[in-house]
Amino acid sequence: MAQRFNWLRSGRVITGLVIVTGLVLCAVFAPLLAPNDPTEQDILAILVPPVWLPGGDWAFPFGTDSLGRCVLSRLIFGSRIALTVAVCGALGAMVLGSILAHIAGYFGGWVDWVIGRVVEIWLSFPPVILSLILMVGLGAGLQNVILAIILVDWTRFCRVLRSDVMVVAQRDYVAAARLLGFSHWRTITREILPATLPLLITLMSLEMGVAVVVEAILSFVGMSVGAEIPAWGQMIADARADIYSAPWVLVLPILAIFVTVFGFNILGDGLRRTLDTRLTQTERA
Amino acid sequence: MALLDVKQLTVSLTSKTSTLDAVSELTFQLQPGKTVGLVGESGAGKSMIGRTIAQLLPPGFAVTGGELLFDGEDLVGMAPERRRSLLGRDIAFIPQEPLSALNPVLTIGQQFREHLEHIGKGGAGWKDRAAAELEAVHLHEPRALLNRYPHQLSGGMCQRVLIAMAFASRPRLLIADEPTTALDVSVQARIVRLIGEMQKRDGTAVIFITHDLRLAAEICDDVIVLYAGRQAEYGPAEVLFRDPAHPYTRCLELAVPDVTGDPRGLYLLPERMPGLKAIADLKGCRFATRCPLADDTCHTQEPGLAEVAPGHVSACWKSFATEGITPPPAPAVAARGSEKILEARGLSKSFVTNWRLFGGASHFHALKAADFIVRDAEFVGVVGESGSGKSTLARTLIGLETPTSGTLQLLGRDIIGTDGGTRDWRQKQMQIVFQDPQSALNPRRKVGSIVAQALEVGGPRLTAEALEVRIRDLLSDTGLSQEMAARYPSQLSGGQKQRVNIARALCRLPRLLIADEIASGLDVSVQAQLLNLLLRLREELGFSMLFISHDLAVVRYLCDRVLVMSKGEIVEHGETEVVFSDPQHPYTRSLLAAVPKGVRAPQVEELSA
Repeated sequence: MAQRFNWLRSGRVITGLVIVTGLVLCAVFAPLLAPNDPTEQDILAILVPPVWLPGGDWAFPFGTDSLGRCVLSRLIFGSRIALTVAVCGALGAMVLGSILAHIAGYFGGWVDWVIGRVVEIWLSFPPVILSLILMVGLGAGLQNVILAIILVDWTRFCRVLRSDVMVVAQRDYVAAARLLGFSHWRTITREILPATLPLLITLMSLEMGVAVVVEAILSFVGMSVGAEIPAWGQMIADARADIYSAPWVLVLPILAIFVTVFGFNILGDGLRRTLDTRLTQTERA
Repeated sequence: MALLDVKQLTVSLTSKTSTLDAVSELTFQLQPGKTVGLVGESGAGKSMIGRTIAQLLPPGFAVTGGELLFDGEDLVGMAPERRRSLLGRDIAFIPQEPLSALNPVLTIGQQFREHLEHIGKGGAGWKDRAAAELEAVHLHEPRALLNRYPHQLSGGMCQRVLIAMAFASRPRLLIADEPTTALDVSVQARIVRLIGEMQKRDGTAVIFITHDLRLAAEICDDVIVLYAGRQAEYGPAEVLFRDPAHPYTRCLELAVPDVTGDPRGLYLLPERMPGLKAIADLKGCRFATRCPLADDTCHTQEPGLAEVAPGHVSACWKSFATEGITPPPAPAVAARGSEKILEARGLSKSFVTNWRLFGGASHFHALKAADFIVRDAEFVGVVGESGSGKSTLARTLIGLETPTSGTLQLLGRDIIGTDGGTRDWRQKQMQIVFQDPQSALNPRRKVGSIVAQALEVGGPRLTAEALEVRIRDLLSDTGLSQEMAARYPSQLSGGQKQRVNIARALCRLPRLLIADEIASGLDVSVQAQLLNLLLRLREELGFSMLFISHDLAVVRYLCDRVLVMSKGEIVEHGETEVVFSDPQHPYTRSLLAAVPKGVRAPQVEELSA
């Protein structure tokens, strides 16, 4: 049992988990935490600076934007969009990518060839352009942002996992399982998947960070949720006009994205170090 | 003066809290031109001496006592620059894995040139010098060889290249760490002869590290038997092998089967050699826990090295009482049935090697029209060098490869390319035990789950209790303790893993086991236990086995009949005793001749390449 929870001892994992848990709490309890309605405009209080600057007001702890909306409340509600996209997008990309990776790596031959070529073609599109094209085709909206992320980023999972699956599939215990009468499906789920799962979890965590950035880009260009729902990318876009007079309106959402992506990345890196079979096996030997 | 003088050398694993000795007070001298053999099971510390000289000790290990004098100079305290100038020049190494010792992305020529530059023989004309060295190790067309890459050569050829490199500097000392363990017996014979020949040319002293007492007795002048980091015995090779003073030497000798002589049982050394931690807690003789002669004195007082004859020392309170250790009687000849379990007719397998869109493809015939029968409760050995098609045969039989032609019948039923029902039936009747338990056991399953894995599919679902009972039976059948069920494979020793591997194959009581080199790579005491386990299991469960091995002595001990394979063909087959005592095919004869027998061969003058 001690071994099973080894990953909890890593400082990176703890740091990542603290940040991510904080974000999840923000998103879940947004209506309770936010001091103001994020969409309510207070025309009398435009571009109020945050409390630590002269002229700050405790009614708007992080100040207001050019339409008099509370920045802190918008940030807190924005985390809902960011996390929804991160979780759904990464999960979807993982499911699609890892299924194809397991099929390609396990069966090999022409199946592997076909999947490999599709991945290569997919990867030759610049990801941002590809997602923009997809958004134009699919139309704006949260579901379509998630779909675009899945369709663009499944290749990351497929590529990395496939080589891992291939290595495991060549171990004798996989052949032994087949010879004991295991079906292909059972062999993959019982013998191969447990070996690739740590890598899967790690990639998933990194992908969540990527998804947050992609969502920010898409909402920056107005391709994500509608204007009535606060999103970090949108906040950045809105703040561009007042970049000199009220830099905090721009800096704060950027900081939010930075902290979120940093949290996911450091969690992923920590998990990689503690869960990756290759690393743990060399330590054991 | 001795070329190498090792005095009370102690190498320990030191940490903040403890000092654990891996080698304790090793003392020996090596004269120029002589060969000393270091023999012992894994963990005995036999590789430590070579690593100490090269200063390549594993992390945490350090020399904590004694001296290591090379031609009067202290190798341990020597300045690094001085050591670097000695290594590769005056002191050369031959590694265990020839393929991994050569850089795969550089040609033989590039690597040879680099080495020649290091030893100060580079510059213009290096090609001629390299070619001359390669010619000296009997490699044909040395100049063409210089342009080739390591993967284009066989293991034996790579080892020759490394020997040529090692001797290019005319070293005074050569350290060969299991140089033939990864090679076939016939290649081994040629390689050791070659080392002997080169040694004679240059007057080089050789430290030959091996686990094979017989091989050491054949080629060494003196042999040191190491046990748990301590010298058990040190003396002239012939004396030590013929008339060992230390019980461990005798046990080692009796634990391996012979290829000649009357059949006898294998001496079973109980348990395992104590690990570094356990050694520190031992009060008396380190071998006492496993020694058949041990009494109270042995358990409480550690014996020192005492001279038992001129030039022959032994660390035992009862030196020369070893006649008392006798091998058990030969295993009873099991009753064999007459039922045909497996029958192969014209079974062949070829691989496409060079496929072209136009101009067809070339084929490699890995298995050429094999005919054989395995009968009820019969153990059939398959011997041959690597590349002879042994493993292809196993993979074809088990269904991992589809044969190109021929028929294969299991219990009278055709089993090639048939429907799912027959496949399930075949998998129940025939199981394989894989060679490498490291790879054959899923590291994420517990032992209990591994051995009962076959019951997860096929047949009615068992209740938790029934499953528990089956696991318990399988573990006790294969001599594993019950608490193993809750462990992971990484927590087991090599021998235990191989038992789990066998237990899994036996789970659904197959009629036929295919075993691919399952006793290789194990220590002799573990190997002896495994072989006896297989014989006992046959008696209890009554299965047949096709036992693939390159070790002829093991096949002779275990198998009723033997198939000799060469280049994909079965060149000879018959009752084991008949084939081994009166081989008909020249290939069988050469295989048998290459097996070390522990007798020093008369000086070989010429060498047939």
